[in-house]
Order: sequence, then structure tokens, then C-alpha cells
Amino acid sequence: MADKSKDVSSIYSPIAKMNLRTKTLLTIGLTVFILVAVVITSLFINSADITTNFNAMNQAPSFEHLFGTDWMGRDMFTRTMKGLGLSVQIGAGASILSSVIAIILAFVGSINSKLDSFIAWLVDLFLSVPHILLIILISIGLGGGAFGVTMGVALTHWTSLTRILRAEIKQINTSEFVKLSQRFGKSKIWIAKKHILPLVITQIIVGTILIFPHAIMHEASVTFLGFGLSPHEPAIGIILSESMKYLATGNWWLALFPGLALLIIVLLFDIAGENIKKLLDPTSANE
Amino acid sequence: MNKKIMFMLAVIIAIFLVMGSASAGIFDFLGGDSNTVEPGSELTIAASPTHGGEPEAGFDPLTGWATENGAEPLIQSRILKKDTEGKLINDLASDYKVSDDLKTVDVTLRDDVKFTDNTTLTAKDIEFTYNKAKENAVIDLSSMKEVKATDDTHVQFTLEKPDSTFVHKLAQIGIVPADSYNNETYGTNPIGSGPYKLVQWDKGQQAIFEVNENYYGDMPHYEKITDLFMDSDAAFRAGKAGEADVIEIDPQYANETIEGMHTVIYPSVDMRGFYLPVTPETGETSEMGSPIGNNVTSDIAIRQALSVGINRQEILDNAFNGLGNLSVSGIGAELPWAQDETIENGDLDKAKEILADGGWKDIDNDGILEKDGKTASFIMSYRAGNLPSEAMALQISEQAKEMGINITPSGKSTDQMMASINTDPMIWAYGSTDPYSIYCMYDSEMAHVAFNNPGSYNNSAVDDMINKAMSEDLESSYDSWSQVPKLAEDDVPWIWVGSIDYVFFVSDDVDFSEDTHTIYPHGGDVWGNVCDWKPVK
Repeated sequence: MADKSKDVSSIYSPIAKMNLRTKTLLTIGLTVFILVAVVITSLFINSADITTNFNAMNQAPSFEHLFGTDWMGRDMFTRTMKGLGLSVQIGAGASILSSVIAIILAFVGSINSKLDSFIAWLVDLFLSVPHILLIILISIGLGGGAFGVTMGVALTHWTSLTRILRAEIKQINTSEFVKLSQRFGKSKIWIAKKHILPLVITQIIVGTILIFPHAIMHEASVTFLGFGLSPHEPAIGIILSESMKYLATGNWWLALFPGLALLIIVLLFDIAGENIKKLLDPTSANE
Repeated sequence: MNKKIMFMLAVIIAIFLVMGSASAGIFDFLGGDSNTVEPGSELTIAASPTHGGEPEAGFDPLTGWATENGAEPLIQSRILKKDTEGKLINDLASDYKVSDDLKTVDVTLRDDVKFTDNTTLTAKDIEFTYNKAKENAVIDLSSMKEVKATDDTHVQFTLEKPDSTFVHKLAQIGIVPADSYNNETYGTNPIGSGPYKLVQWDKGQQAIFEVNENYYGDMPHYEKITDLFMDSDAAFRAGKAGEADVIEIDPQYANETIEGMHTVIYPSVDMRGFYLPVTPETGETSEMGSPIGNNVTSDIAIRQALSVGINRQEILDNAFNGLGNLSVSGIGAELPWAQDETIENGDLDKAKEILADGGWKDIDNDGILEKDGKTASFIMSYRAGNLPSEAMALQISEQAKEMGINITPSGKSTDQMMASINTDPMIWAYGSTDPYSIYCMYDSEMAHVAFNNPGSYNNSAVDDMINKAMSEDLESSYDSWSQVPKLAEDDVPWIWVGSIDYVFFVSDDVDFSEDTHTIYPHGGDVWGNVCDWKPVK
């Protein structure tokens, strides 16, 4: 009986009627829409306009201040949105740059075995130093600020994608059709363009998107530790580290909402990435 | 059977209780009101920002322990110390005399002082400490030519030039033993003659002090003091959890309540304000590596407008929770050279008028003024992590925007601040009970030398007044010192907001002896009246 009623409701639910492809597309559309909305909102917020208002400090969440206010009476919703926007932008910059580095290195590695072992060594080198340390070193070396943090994150996240691409390319290089093209006298660049790139493009796109959550988390950790941006600027890490000082006085909203917002953004990227993978690489949809 | 045992136990406990309170009563009677150590009494304190913090290089006065602004070194003792009104009184000295030409200071020492290793403190130790202090430059002893022990209890200081403020230096450094001093081990294993001795130092966590039985002064009441090294928020949590008896906190927490504790608020001479570089960019860099000068703040109209237009009361209310005293002169009201001042607050119209008269106009209608192709825009540094400074920088920035001046706050680490100290104005904290600090901030000789006179201020009338003050006897020099900020007023090298208050939460079981605290300089002086703290019965 119970099963039957479930079936009946599912027949009439519009989502249930969709096939997997439509559902995937819908999920991707929704997540991308939310992410784009966050970035666009944040672009309309000018940091200088987040002014202090000491008459309204340490207020709990209300309809006027959805996320409450901090110790200088600044609206936490605005600060959080601006911070998230910054996170996504840094994430975008970092993942695109990382992918470019990964693609170049992976293809360079396929030229000859000496270059290949050099790149394998480079990947191992970067993986052997803790991420956060490298990020801090690079961002300080480049003079700090949002630029330093972006570059720091960008220059440390190419390793895993490089490894995947390198392995894929190696496998493709040993296949019959590549060997055939080689015997026909096709150039290496021709093979890379016509044979390899079409086969690894899925990995590149999905890999790029899946770098996002990592990059955002690392940006938040670096700013949390106090590197890169000034303490009054809105970055998620700064907001969270500041909130710790006020937990003892009971201002729970300072940590909860920005933390939750960060979590949601990261999850959205993960969902988008997984679904795009399903779409581009249908075999993985059955996993 | 069980009942019987319970009853017996209760009786035994009752007997112990009665005996305990009776014996405490006997101790009371014996001790009376004079200072005695109460056996077993312990105090836990978390007051890092008020000279209760962890010294990076150890508890060694020759590497900077308690030398800043003459705070009580606790483990060591000084030649002179300061009373509750900031007057110099004898500590190790039994007498001191300044010559009429202000070029020699003769000190007679008491002969009953022993270090914690039972050796006697003599004039040799003072000679050694001051020579080393000059060598290490832990305090500014540039006017000291020579220090000489004439016999065991007499020391003579000879100066390069008349310096009326030099006697204040006698209250700025704890004396270390010449014979056993070793710069590598002293910091972790200090030997001194102060009221307490260090018994344990867990780096990064706490230091434990116990009474020094050899102490020559009035003995403290607490036998043992545990000093927790904590940030303001951690200290607040420790107070709430009952883990500390005395905590010092940021003013932002002052409105909170902690059960079993009460708030104690001390005024201070710890002044907050900022400077504005008075010269345009010179293309030179200072020894600290900072470019010198600022093309916007060197315009007198900008400086005067900010001085007139800044709403000091609003900054104090917002950044310091209203806890402090406004000041235009930058001289704390408790200092001997303080003068009555009238505070005019936030006259925006006048500020705009000054800017307009100075030729600043909003040409491109973006709300920010321009003049000769320059935009009225500059950076204001503040120390990252210092919440009141951060709030102050944001407030100043917002207030300046209403005048048409764009000030961009920028949180920096100490290294970053040093790299821009002579070109970007910075939120400044200063407060010393030694008028020498006025020389450091206003005299052209000190322009962009280390942290002194960072705005490169240069005015010969001001320099002359400082020279006059230096060559008068201490009491009459105070009047001259008080003239200095007035003479500089129209040039606005500094804009002061006011002095801040220090906020403590103190356990109801502790008598913090609030009446006997010393004048709080920048960084406070929490150990200043440590011998007067006692448990409440």
C-alpha cells in the first residue's frame, strides 16, 4: 500500500517525469545561476559602502539585518556576500590559471620522456610541501593583497589535474589510432589537436570546476590566518576569524551564517562539477 | 552503623572548619594591616596588553623586559619608581641629587638590598646595567656620557648635555647582577631584587612568580602569581570559566558581565591619534626603508581641515566604547605637565571652508576633492589585529569622506608599517610619564629616526622650546613641555583623539587596591601596585 501511494505521487511530480539528462541539466542550471547571482550581487557592493554604524552593533539577525551585525555595526549579510563574491572570483582566477598550467605541463610532458620525468618531479615537489604553506609563501612573496592570494592559490592547485592529464595522455599515446597517425607522418601537434584534446577535454572542464571548491577553501583559510587582506576588508576567512573573538560574548550569528554560506557555495560547485561530469562523460553516470 | 560514620565525619569536618577559620583569624591579628605574605594565597592573572604579556626575549631588562615607558619589572627593581601621581620616588636609591648644570646625577643606594641569589646589590651592578642598556639601546640613553660607581653605595651619572628628563631614565630599567649576568641564560632564569621571582615559565602559555623572601620593600600579600599569556578574547573566556582572578580586556568587552567579577576601569595617559607627514615626497628613504613625505598631507589645508573636522567624541564612543578622555594636545590629563583644554568637536563646515580656501575643489564630482591634479586621497595604516585601532581607522576614514578627503584604511603587520611609516599616516598610540617623549615626537632632530617624529615635523620655535625644557630643572621644565604641542598646533603634525581607559575584570575575592595604581602609560603598568593586592576575607 505504502509503495503504491509513493508511486502515484511520483508519477505526478514534474521532477520525476524528467529523464536523467533533463534533471542533470536543471541541476547544473540552478547551481550556476546561484553562483553567478552571488558574484553579480557582490560586484554591486562597494567595500567602501559597508560603513560602520555603532548604534546598531552586535545585533542578532532580524529582517533588517538578515545575518545580524558585527562589533562595528556593519551589516553581516552585505559583508558575507561581498566576501563570497571575492572567494568565487579568486576561485575562478585560480582554477582557470591552474588548468592552463596543467594543460601546458601535461602536453609538454608528452613530447619526450626526459621532460615527462621532469614534470612528474615538479608535481611531486609541489605535492610534498603542504598547500597552505606554499600559498602563504607565494602570496607574501608577491606582495600580499587579493592579487597575492589569487596567485598563491592558482600556483598551487595545478598538480592533481596535471597528474590526471598526464596519465590520460600517456594512455592515448599508446593507442592504435595514434600509432597509425604517427606512421602516416602526422606531426605531434596534429595528433595533440585531433586525437588527444577531444578525448581529454572532459577531464579538463570537470577538473577546472572541481578545483573551485579547493581554491575557495584555501582562500578562506589563508585569509582566516590573517595573510593577504586587511582585517577590515570583507573576505570569508577574515569574517570567520573575527567572529571567533565574539563567540564568548554569545554572538553566534557572526560565525554561523558566513560559515554556512561558505559551505553552501563549496557544495554548489561540487554538485555542478559532478553533474557536468555526468553530462560530458555519460559512462560515469552509471557509477 | 552508616549513620554513625556519617555523623563522625561531619563532626570531624566541622572541627577542621572551626580551626581553620580561627587560625586565619590569628594570622589576621598577627599581620594586622601591614604587608605580610599570606601563606598559600594564589592569584591568576591574564593581562597581556598591560605589560603582563610574554616578553619575547625573556624577563631580561637588557633585552627590553618592562623598559617601555617605565613599567614595574616585578622581578627586578629600579633606582627610582613612580608614585600614584607620577612623581619619582626612591626604590633602590635612598637619595639622589641633580647638579645645578643638569649634567651630573648622584645617586646614593640603600645598602640592604639582596638579589634572589643572596648576593648584595651594589653600585657596580647599576654601572653594569646602565652601560649594557646603552650598548643594547633598550632605552634611549644617548644623553648619558658615563656611569660610574664611586663606592658600593654611590653612583654618578655624567651627561653629554643638560637633560632635565634624565632622572626619569632611572625609573626605566630593572637592575641585573653584574657578576652573574649572562645574556644567554638570564632571560629564562632571571636574578633580580624585585618583590617576586620567576619560578616557572611555560613558553607561550604562562609564567609563575613566587614571593622573593629577600625583598627589601613592603612585602606583597600574594605568595604566588600565575600570569597567563592570553589575547583579550581568550582572557575573557578564562575569566568567564573562572580560570583567572584578574583579566584585562579590550574596551569592546567592557559592557559584558562575568559572575563573581567586577569591572575596574583605570584612566591612562595612553593617547590615541595619528600623524600627518608635513613634507611632500622627497624621494629619499629613511633608515627604516620608508619613503619620506606625502604629497597630500603636506598640504596644510588638509591637515588643518582634518584637525578641525574630526569628531573626537564619536571616535572615542565608537572605537573605545566611550572609555577614555578626549584631548587635543595629546598630553594625558594625569601628567604633571598637562593643562586644561577645551575640546572643539567635529566642525565640518569649518573644515570644508579651510579646504576651499586652500584651493581644494571637487572638479570631477566624485565627492573627493582635487587640487593641481592631485586627489585628496591617502592611506592610513593601522596595526592588523588591534581591534580599537581598526575601528578608529575606519571611523576617521568615514568622517574624512564627509569633508571630501578619501582615506583608505590599511591593516598592516609591524614590518609592513615600518616600510611606509614616513609616508602613510598611521594610527598612533603613545603615552609616557617621561616628557622626553615630547622631544621624540616633535623635535626636528628626531625627524624620521626609527619610530620618532614619523611625520618629519620641523619647526624651530618648537625645537627652541624643547631645548629650553631640557635645560631647566625638572619641576619648572614641565611648564615648557606643556607649551610644545601648543606651538605646533597650527602646523598640525599630530592629530590627537584622546587617551584610552584600561578595563579589568577582577574577581570579587581579590582586593585590587584600585586607589594605589600608578599612572598607566602606553601599555599600562599592571604590576605597578602588585604589593598592595590582597585576598578579600
